[in-house]
Amino acid sequence: MRIDNCGILSLRALHGRTITRRGVLLGAAGAASAALLPMTARAQTVKTGGRLIVGCAGGGAKDKLDAHSPVSNPDIARGFALYEPLAKRNANYEFEMILAEEISPNPTADLWTLRLKQGIVFHNGKAMTADDAIFSIQRIIDPKNPKAGAAGLSDIDAAGFKKLDDRTFSIRLKQPFATFDVQLGEYANGIVPVDYDPQKPVGTGPFKFVSFTPGDRSVFAAHKQYWRSGQPYVDELVIVDFPDDTARINALLSGQIHAIDNVPFAQGRILEATPGVKALVANTGAWLPFTMRVDQAPFDDVRVRQAMRLLVDRKQMVEQALSGQGTIANDLYSPFDPAYAKGLPQRHQDLDRAKSLLKAAGHENLEVELVTSSVAAGVVEAAQVLVEQARGAGVKINLRKVDSGVFYGDNYLKWAFAQDFWFTRDYLPQVSACALPGSPYNETHWDDAEFQKLIAEARKTLDKERRAAILQDAQLLEYEKGGYIIWGFRNQIDAYSGKVAGFQPSRTGTPLGNYGFGAVHFV
Amino acid sequence: MIAILLRRLGLGAVTLFFVSLLVFGTTQALPGDAAQAILGKEATPARLAALRERLHLDEPVWQQYGKWLANMARGDLGRSLATEEPVSQLIAGRVGNSGFLVALSALIAIPLSLALGVISAARRDQAIDHALTTGALVLAALPEFVIGIALILVFATNLVHLLPAVTLLAEGVPIWRQIDQAILPAVTLDLAVIPYMSRIMRASMIEVLESDYVQMARLKGLSPRRVILRHALPNALVPFVQVTALQLAWLAGGVVVVEFVFRYPGIGAALVDGVANRDLPVVQALTLMVGGIYVLLNMVADMATILLTPRLRTALR
Repeated sequence: MRIDNCGILSLRALHGRTITRRGVLLGAAGAASAALLPMTARAQTVKTGGRLIVGCAGGGAKDKLDAHSPVSNPDIARGFALYEPLAKRNANYEFEMILAEEISPNPTADLWTLRLKQGIVFHNGKAMTADDAIFSIQRIIDPKNPKAGAAGLSDIDAAGFKKLDDRTFSIRLKQPFATFDVQLGEYANGIVPVDYDPQKPVGTGPFKFVSFTPGDRSVFAAHKQYWRSGQPYVDELVIVDFPDDTARINALLSGQIHAIDNVPFAQGRILEATPGVKALVANTGAWLPFTMRVDQAPFDDVRVRQAMRLLVDRKQMVEQALSGQGTIANDLYSPFDPAYAKGLPQRHQDLDRAKSLLKAAGHENLEVELVTSSVAAGVVEAAQVLVEQARGAGVKINLRKVDSGVFYGDNYLKWAFAQDFWFTRDYLPQVSACALPGSPYNETHWDDAEFQKLIAEARKTLDKERRAAILQDAQLLEYEKGGYIIWGFRNQIDAYSGKVAGFQPSRTGTPLGNYGFGAVHFV
Repeated sequence: MIAILLRRLGLGAVTLFFVSLLVFGTTQALPGDAAQAILGKEATPARLAALRERLHLDEPVWQQYGKWLANMARGDLGRSLATEEPVSQLIAGRVGNSGFLVALSALIAIPLSLALGVISAARRDQAIDHALTTGALVLAALPEFVIGIALILVFATNLVHLLPAVTLLAEGVPIWRQIDQAILPAVTLDLAVIPYMSRIMRASMIEVLESDYVQMARLKGLSPRRVILRHALPNALVPFVQVTALQLAWLAGGVVVVEFVFRYPGIGAALVDGVANRDLPVVQALTLMVGGIYVLLNMVADMATILLTPRLRTALR
């Protein structure tokens, strides 16, 4: 999919002019040289230099630069510029080794050996070694100051780090975890040097720190010794906070900045049609569920939960809440996981069956309160659509809209019927985050013994096919008895100016192609 | 005169003290605290506890207020809960930006609304008066963000690319050297306040022009220009001064909507962000500053009124 710059240049020589002999000769010369140039020389025709200015949604005084605790959306963007994890899912959702060369388990999946790549240099010129990697992971799981990735890495035995040589070390786990490598590959688990100071951050990413003003912007310069040769192409990167959607889009339209993330769904088509602006649309596995507490009336009756799931006209909800920018879902998450249960029949709206289920459960003409908040684009709209759709089955939903401070306040994870937002994850990391009694974000309070047995079994199973079969059974349980209404997977829409290129849509759902600033260049 | 000034200052200080108590009370009454607001969805009980301890949020409420008051008396505005940097450092830039925007807007608005009001009154019920009145009413009916977005559409994105749509101030360069970034926000604010100020000027001027001494001056044969500028205007200024003071205080309070539309880094947006973060030191500092500006501007307006009204001047002695 790489555009051949030489080819386009020669075409441009012919367009817009009458075909002269000179023009034809130039074109022929261009085409010939394109055929003759080797791959590496062609890469050199990518224009280098320039100052890339990116506008990110949100941000405020609470912006942070810490590698392991991004809070606001611009923090995440900054993290991708400065730091890198050992491995991660790339734009095509393939698991790619980044700083590590190899991450391999022992047969019982409770001792993992990691070998780092050679020649990786931090921004301050220091070479990356196993000591740095061990320090970084210990910093994340430090019980006195746990960071964002700590909950997912709770299986690590704190005393189980062993340095084997300069590039290799091993981690012992408290219990087997077959997909520990994927769990390590979250964006908030970047590797930092042993003398890391969040005020003067140092990492291995394509850009190094220059300055930072919380709530305003951060400035970065190219890391000349970045391990991906040729990258980054631009000299300077500026990430600017934009709490207001309109201001962010206006800044792109007036040519003041080169790229923006999180374009509101309804505006995606408008930007696509604007000359000089390109929209970046990615199909992702990001989901915006309705959450029902399975331990509180009326949702403690599984028939009520099943009825609620049958209320939703999924296609209509995607059309209305996401302006068509998404795909319908089947009350299951992690659609890109190889073990995703795609064989289960797609649920559709069935108001009659919903009514009969509610009647059998003794909750005819059910009336419930739904707590919603604009924590992400599409959430409140989806709630409003559900209220309308529920009427068809005699269910009255009272919508209670609160601001995000209240939503994530004392009652978060205690609301009986509410919503939430999740990015794309693999199945087991997602389960660790939301479907087990000890999960940090178990909105539905799902606590099913059979499910937990299956998950524990899957975590021990290194064989991919066997693990997939176990996880299919686990997903069947969630499909039949779970507390989530997962109606769709949203697209990620970003936009950039025609002056730049190199952004690729990313299925992980992280904006601007996994904030892939290293590959961006001016044209 | 001095006695009045001192008394007003004293009353102002008492007012600000009560404002600070009110702000503290209402922020505590808000659901959630700074630690929850900062961590948002990332808040796990372990991280919340660690952050609360670091920010001294586990101390009793009255103790937190007492500490803050003691610091305030020494001139120390405290540390922001969200950034853990000194509040003065955080808001210094923003106060400067807002101050510059208010000054720029006022520089255009005051002379312009004065002139428009006088012209309207002098040419009362003629074509120009009708045009100005309709214009003023239309602008007063439009919300500020509509005016702002309309200006952006015309000057920045759709019609021409003459002025920047958002404010991206270069660091290190003082704002008066990047004045093109402040033009559209200032014009928006002007279009928001000029209708009121010019209408007040017009009404007050009409009243004065119908008074006896103005008739006397006309009968004496003075030129219309001299009548208006030398005899009518000084007496018509008092209501105008009062309204101007109120409008300036409103501008200084940080017009949040305009700051959001243009991404202008002023104190309005900082205040909204502070409340969202339950960042009490920042909210207190900004609210007290805005309150102080209100007190000061009202005092200046009252002083100006006294100076402009000979009757009150003599009553002072």
